[in-house]
Amino acid sequence: MQHAIEVRGLKKAFGDVRALDGVDLSAPQGTVLGVLGPNGAGKTTAVRCLTTLTVPDSGTARVLGLDAVTQAAEVRARIGLTGQYAGLDPNLSGEQNLVLIARLLGASRSQAKNRAAELLERFELVHAATRAASKYSGGMRRRLDLAASIVRRPEVLFLDEPTTGLDPKSRGQLWELVRDLVAEGTTVLLTTQYLEEADQLADTIAVIDSGRVIASGVPSELKRMVGGLVLRMRPVNAEALPKLIDVADWTIDAKARGEDGEAIVPVSHAGEATAVMSRVSQAGIDLVAFGLDEPTLDEVFLTLTGHKAEAAQENQEVAA
Amino acid sequence: MSVTTWTTHRGPLAQSASMAARSLASIKHQPAQLIDFVMIPMMILLSITFFMGGQMMGSWQDFLQYAGPSLIAMGLFFAITSTGLSLYGDIKDGVFDRLTAMPVSRFALLAGRVAADMVKHAWALLVVGGVAFAIGYRADGGGLGVAAAAGAVLLFLFASSWAMVLVGLTAKSEEQIQTWMVALLMPLAYTSSIFVEIETLPTAVQWWAEINPLTALGDSMRVFLDGGTPGGEVAALLGWSAAIIAVFVPLSLRAYRRKLTG
Repeated sequence: MQHAIEVRGLKKAFGDVRALDGVDLSAPQGTVLGVLGPNGAGKTTAVRCLTTLTVPDSGTARVLGLDAVTQAAEVRARIGLTGQYAGLDPNLSGEQNLVLIARLLGASRSQAKNRAAELLERFELVHAATRAASKYSGGMRRRLDLAASIVRRPEVLFLDEPTTGLDPKSRGQLWELVRDLVAEGTTVLLTTQYLEEADQLADTIAVIDSGRVIASGVPSELKRMVGGLVLRMRPVNAEALPKLIDVADWTIDAKARGEDGEAIVPVSHAGEATAVMSRVSQAGIDLVAFGLDEPTLDEVFLTLTGHKAEAAQENQEVAA
Repeated sequence: MSVTTWTTHRGPLAQSASMAARSLASIKHQPAQLIDFVMIPMMILLSITFFMGGQMMGSWQDFLQYAGPSLIAMGLFFAITSTGLSLYGDIKDGVFDRLTAMPVSRFALLAGRVAADMVKHAWALLVVGGVAFAIGYRADGGGLGVAAAAGAVLLFLFASSWAMVLVGLTAKSEEQIQTWMVALLMPLAYTSSIFVEIETLPTAVQWWAEINPLTALGDSMRVFLDGGTPGGEVAALLGWSAAIIAVFVPLSLRAYRRKLTG
């Protein structure tokens, strides 16, 4: 099968920081590959290698069969990039930004204007067409940024944390736009810190941590890797939480943990959950709420890395 | 969505023009840029003429007639710092990340910035030149001489802007770019014939003052404006401009590759 994205043994160090430490990724044409990981995991560096902006120390990055280092010019002609920092000119209007990109890509003046109008319409920015991009809201700027990356319809689109810092409504809007592009046949590589985002959009997910892919598969496979179910219990009295966790651990040796006033207990089947619940009741701990859930990708990440997705902030994303 | 295929192939020069147009279009949203470009040359012309001119030549009118044009040139020369600053800003904002990942000539991305700044320099020259005329400067060389002098200063600004492109691409901070201006441009200006006669300089720097590119610029402008016969000074100016372009365009392109595709 022809892979739109094919990365093998990619390594890149910035001084002492090993941003990429042997990364393998692949995505068939027309699919969405989600690259999931905390800040500093190496996501941006991987995108930069694939989009010809960073030369790797070793390994290969291929896009549509073309080498991103030796065939960089051909790669550039067929991809689109929405970087982590909006690649827009803040002093130009939305329309001017799009026209500029179309002109640079070879469109005539009238073709550029038509294409800009088409994209502004599609991305619901017509009302702000003549306003400076610096005056746009976060969600509008991201939409314009996405529009700019598809001015000349790319075959492979790279989205580096496209919704970081957006409110849920704008995030949902952006997801819809990405889904539309995929439906038209665009291959997408999307990096994200949001597990929900990867779950929503990606066909396959690669979990990346400290420059290495630590797990990959379809979302349901990843969930299965953690195994079983999750029992959540919220005590009436928050001070009872440690005791609740102790009871659960003692009952089934479950490595339970507390989070936001809830006890989270991984269980392998519903019977274990019943056993824990009955011990809790015997111990006289009153619960406000409890439930048995499929594990979320947050739990997947915790199980795979041993630390929480949000907690891995020591090494900042290297965007050199 | 319609499949987008554009068959027109626009070369590096057309792409430069698009980039220059982009930079000029931003004036609408940031009109203060126009004042920035005029401010330095205007203040240098007026303050030195009125506050120091009388001291140097007996009357400020005589000083204006001698040094006015080259003072304007020096002020415009200091304003090339903004080329470095705006390029630095573009890179920091991430604008260049997208452009670099597109099939666009690297030369065009840089040349567009230089070209746009040349338009702003020309505008500043028009304004400050008009002020010099208004307070009494007169050129014996007539319209043709004025045009030739303007051409000389714009040519030199075009060449030296490429040095600022390199500074903008390699600087670690905006402050560093300002420091470059003080550390490099000012000594260059003050060891030239721009507003003192070379004989009055310390002997140790006189040899340098003779070959200083700004001396060539100042002398060329004087020749054109006074209606004299162009000679060695114009040849020196052309030589300097060509040499600066030949050195700094390749260095800038190399710095660009290192900075944005390192």
